[in-house]
Amino acid sequence: MKSKVKTYSIERKQARYGFAFTLPCLLFFGFFSFYPIINAFITSLTNRKAVGKTWNFVGFDNYAYLFTQSNGGFSLLNSLKATGLFTLGCFIPMVVIALLLSVLIMQLRKPWQKKFFELSYYIPAVLSSVVAATIWRIMFQPTGLINQLSNWVMFTSGRDYKWLTDNGMLVASTIIVYFWKYIGYFTILFITGLASIPPTIYEAAIVDGSSRWHTFWKITLPLLKPTVMLVSIMAMLQCLKTFSTQYMFVIGGTARKPIDVITMNIFYTGITNGYLGRASAMSIVLFVIMLVFTYLQFAAQKGGEDVEY
Amino acid sequence: MKKVFITMLLVLALIAPMFAQGAQEEKATLDKEAPVTIIFWTHEDAARQKLEDQWIKEFMEAHPNVKIEVSRKDAEGLRQGVQTAYAADPKTAPTVWNLPIESSHEYIDAGLVAPVDYEVVGFKDADDMRNQYADGMIDAVYKDGDFYGIPLELTNWCIFLDKEVFRLAGLDPEKDYPKTWEEMFEVSKKITVRDGEIIKRRGFDFRYSYSLTYFVPMVEQLGGSLSEKDGCVNEAAWIEALTFMKKWADEGLGNSTLTAPRKLFNKHNLDIAMANTGLYQESRILSENPDFYNSGEWMVVPYPVFENAVNNVAGCYYGHYYHVNSEATALQQYWGWELIKYFLLTPGHAELYLTQVGLIQPLKTLMNGEVYQSMPFSEVFSADFARSHIVYYGKGSSAIQKQIDTAINNVMLQGMSPAEAYKQLQKNVLEILND
Repeated sequence: MKSKVKTYSIERKQARYGFAFTLPCLLFFGFFSFYPIINAFITSLTNRKAVGKTWNFVGFDNYAYLFTQSNGGFSLLNSLKATGLFTLGCFIPMVVIALLLSVLIMQLRKPWQKKFFELSYYIPAVLSSVVAATIWRIMFQPTGLINQLSNWVMFTSGRDYKWLTDNGMLVASTIIVYFWKYIGYFTILFITGLASIPPTIYEAAIVDGSSRWHTFWKITLPLLKPTVMLVSIMAMLQCLKTFSTQYMFVIGGTARKPIDVITMNIFYTGITNGYLGRASAMSIVLFVIMLVFTYLQFAAQKGGEDVEY
Repeated sequence: MKKVFITMLLVLALIAPMFAQGAQEEKATLDKEAPVTIIFWTHEDAARQKLEDQWIKEFMEAHPNVKIEVSRKDAEGLRQGVQTAYAADPKTAPTVWNLPIESSHEYIDAGLVAPVDYEVVGFKDADDMRNQYADGMIDAVYKDGDFYGIPLELTNWCIFLDKEVFRLAGLDPEKDYPKTWEEMFEVSKKITVRDGEIIKRRGFDFRYSYSLTYFVPMVEQLGGSLSEKDGCVNEAAWIEALTFMKKWADEGLGNSTLTAPRKLFNKHNLDIAMANTGLYQESRILSENPDFYNSGEWMVVPYPVFENAVNNVAGCYYGHYYHVNSEATALQQYWGWELIKYFLLTPGHAELYLTQVGLIQPLKTLMNGEVYQSMPFSEVFSADFARSHIVYYGKGSSAIQKQIDTAINNVMLQGMSPAEAYKQLQKNVLEILND
């Protein structure tokens, strides 16, 4: 009887090594990401409370409740609205201005100048979100720096611009804090993308007599497409998950409703009020929203050709 | 068949008492010298930390088999931390912890804290324990014949007053201090200093995130109440109290986004004239600003009432009780009670808590003793204790407090009418109570 000799191609061997190397990462993600998602979904089907020994399965009651009831005056629909407003107000300007800043920084000729601005813009991203929000909350008080600055800019004196007490200004305040904190982070990502564009392309453009403006629109931006996609998805997901700024503001006494983003509502529903089942249902809703938006962004940018240098 | 049945019945009768005595035997057979770790969670308080850290050190030296792991958090962080720890796994939740009664009572209801081990802490039984404390002060932790915690402190808030700020407004602090909420409004108007619309100095401001403690009594003065059965009872009283808060904001006397008065008061920077706080503030003034403490420039006055009050009630008092986790091992529970006993019931410790930290343990011996009587303005706190009651700690107390905070916020910052704010509040409170 002939024994069958197993043969492996180089690709298959490499694939085995590849799998072995990615296994720890898969296990890590499986344990710390997929397990919590599955666990949250199961909890969302129960009436589990934080303080209590027993709970029951209630099917999709929590979901029905969230879309039909006020959740103690802080409905999911209001949170969707607050999150949407914050995301739109923050993510689009952040991506656009981070791109502009990165292009401006790349124009600098001396390396120390580049390093200085990269570092300066990045520093807020290193600061703890809680500390940043607390400092900004103090600055937004009527006697704080921002209100004084507002009076100086607007040529007024002794006016309270109500950064923390007017609903619209409150939303704007949270956007400013978040924008300040993360603009540097996304600028650095764009700089990395810009640095990967081969200089020969720009040299060819100069030889062909292309203006800077023309070069930006016809060369830089199209070649930066993968980075733009990465940054816009990351910025959007980051904005959808915003929490600490809003939470620290509310802890400091501001109104909750205008800035009651979904993550904060999840926190208050689950941790403060103890409705773990209901809070889990909210987090699953947020997960689905993030999944859908990410898919849409991928789909929207899939239309173009792949970038090759 | 009959024989088998009778034999089974006899065997059952024989083993049943064994199960009934299981818990007692477990306690009796406990190896108390076995190594054990006590996880102790409490809220931050610099002065108390100094005392308790010393006692923990002494306790561990006296009992080398006991290791105490301490974790301190701010008040809200502790509440969230204890809740999250129990939600994750009650068995690994802290062994000994404390929270304000309005937050901890639900753990008693859920059976997650253990009844007091009278033998360990040195009481004969529940009645003996009750007799050691001032009337009604430990009722909040009594359920079905047992107590489920020992009080670390029972605190009420009066009004701390900075005399210099009063004089700067041309007021005589001894005569012009506010006795009614209407006077509080007028006096604050006189004291408030503005640069245009910006408040530079305030007369008084509320402790906005503790509405069960300061706001519900205002409602009660007007004839309303908060009931576990009917929610916010007496619509007119609630609306009147909310209207007062709205008027406070509309006049620009203060709001919840400004720095808390009690944090400004000790500095004596003339930013605030009055703060609503407890006896513990005295030790904080002493440690932060001894010159101000010794200057005679501050005093404490009673909690005001409305002019048309139908009930003369002061601000509610609240309690922090040390609890032991009922899901901890028997050995942890035993040493948990030993630790609590060492903290609270060692002779002289109650006096140290009072003089060093400003915490009142409602022990009869302490409250009737010389040390308490000699504390500055203790008579004001005692008089207000006499006309107050414990804070609402019934079903959904934490969530209800947040709802009342929101209603106040709605009228003060959102421009909502008091009637609409009440309507929403009552709807949400009833939803919490009926859940």
